[in-house]
Amino acid sequence: MNFKKEYDTIVIGAGPSGVKAALRCSKKGLKVLIIDSNQNSGGQIYRAPPKSYVKKSNKSLEENLIQIKFSKHLEENNIDTAYNHTVWQVSPGFKINTFNEEGAVEWSAKNLIVATGTYEKIIPFEGWTTPGIIGLAACTIMLKSHQTIPGNKIILSGNGPLLILVAYYVLKFGGKVDAIIDTSSKIKWIQSMFSLILNPKNFIQGISWIFKIILSKVPIYSNSLVTKANKTQNGISVEIQNIKNKKIKVLDTEVLAIGHGLTPSTDITRLLRVDHLYNELKGGWIPKLDKYFRSSMKGLYITGDGAGISGAIAAEDKGELAACALLKDQNIINEKEFNNTTNKILNRLKRYEIFAKGIAELNSTPTSLIKNINDNTILCRCEDITKKDIKNAVNNGAKNLNQIKSWTRFGMGPCQGRTCQYSVAKVASEQLKCNVKDLGYLTGRTPLRPFPLDKAIGDFEYEEITKVEAAPL
Amino acid sequence: MNLRIHDYFERGKKVRIIVNDDTIEAYEGECLSVVLFISNKKNLRTSPKLKENRGMLCMMGSCQECVVLLNGKKVTSCNIFIKDGMEVKTGNLNEF
Repeated sequence: MNFKKEYDTIVIGAGPSGVKAALRCSKKGLKVLIIDSNQNSGGQIYRAPPKSYVKKSNKSLEENLIQIKFSKHLEENNIDTAYNHTVWQVSPGFKINTFNEEGAVEWSAKNLIVATGTYEKIIPFEGWTTPGIIGLAACTIMLKSHQTIPGNKIILSGNGPLLILVAYYVLKFGGKVDAIIDTSSKIKWIQSMFSLILNPKNFIQGISWIFKIILSKVPIYSNSLVTKANKTQNGISVEIQNIKNKKIKVLDTEVLAIGHGLTPSTDITRLLRVDHLYNELKGGWIPKLDKYFRSSMKGLYITGDGAGISGAIAAEDKGELAACALLKDQNIINEKEFNNTTNKILNRLKRYEIFAKGIAELNSTPTSLIKNINDNTILCRCEDITKKDIKNAVNNGAKNLNQIKSWTRFGMGPCQGRTCQYSVAKVASEQLKCNVKDLGYLTGRTPLRPFPLDKAIGDFEYEEITKVEAAPL
Repeated sequence: MNLRIHDYFERGKKVRIIVNDDTIEAYEGECLSVVLFISNKKNLRTSPKLKENRGMLCMMGSCQECVVLLNGKKVTSCNIFIKDGMEVKTGNLNEF
């Protein structure tokens, strides 16, 4: 393993929040490193195209310009970057273990800012493991970063702002959307639009996207969900149902992109055993934080959507606040400077948070989706664990998520429960007739990502191994 | 329909990779899971118990569903970028 020098502050995640936090710390003279598993800064929202893509000078995408600005600012402020590095372990104090193509590295820092964003929630349905069914978030990455339309025929389904965003991009890039299956009602969209007015830029953008979709005459099925999908000769057959009148329709497509909102990434905070609380509107379990994003562990700050979903614009301000708190705690800025800076940011953030609430309401998972899961549907994809397996465990006495895990192996596969924890908790809480938060959350475990042992060991000669004298017989 | 959008970026040079027994054309530096997806190679691995086909799901290194064998080693294909002559195997990865 390769040991790297110590930093004042390490930021994990180079999305909008991580970048802003890193910049503020660096501007006050701290030695900062930013780590990200992607090839560049930007996070998922402004994800950069692959390194081999060369930008054409005559045309550009707004997201791409923001990303280029992030990279420029990081470079100008002499912030060290460790891209293509996947974090597999974090220990208090702080030690951060990562790996990349070459091998494993250990970094250390006095303070740690975690800005690891979110994952997409996909509520299971019969046949959801069929290849060709992908997340809406995956779809945005294929479109915006990789500049690729996922297929010739696409059906989009689920709820939340991503549904509209993906439809807009497929159409903008000249692709074809066969249908939009929206779990929400049209009234819910209008209600949420009112909160968007508080942020005119987003409101106008949202309206212009919806107009493009309406003009393209894509069939929109509101109040509807996907009940079944199966592989056909040329693609996927998708069965949809209207929640209100129970009418069923079957559609054929090549690609089904589906997503039910976002959930904060708590891998690192669960591993560090800090306090968490449950907030459905903020995406599920989130670390317990003060209003400046200090966690219950000294020197550990959690920011961005990972601190609760409120979107990319708010994430920048959340990053600034976390950095201010860190600088104050390190006595780098005084009380007066801290108050002056943070009051301004807090006021701005308050307005975004109202806007974020509107988005969050669109993001929340309707109970009809959980009721739609049948007993033989796989919940845990890594270990092939069905809803019936979860129900059996609960009926036999498992009382919380960790017990259900030991009982069934759910969450023990390579994804560590990231894909299924949310839906398993919903299913178990329905069976136990209890609140989801009473089931707790999966204890964080290393490695956070599957990690080949040869990378941990690295290349060495036999002579280089420190030999320990054998114990006397 | 050409699924690759060429309006905003110039891609790398054209190369070939081998997927199981087929040769696929792609651009150097493109993302492996994306190339497999649009080249109608959507079945990437099989599940451990039921041996069901599985494919790319999250595109952000979280779900681990896009694992393939690359030059004999298990990798998540969503964070691998195409190089000329890459050898990729999909299916029951423990059988190779």
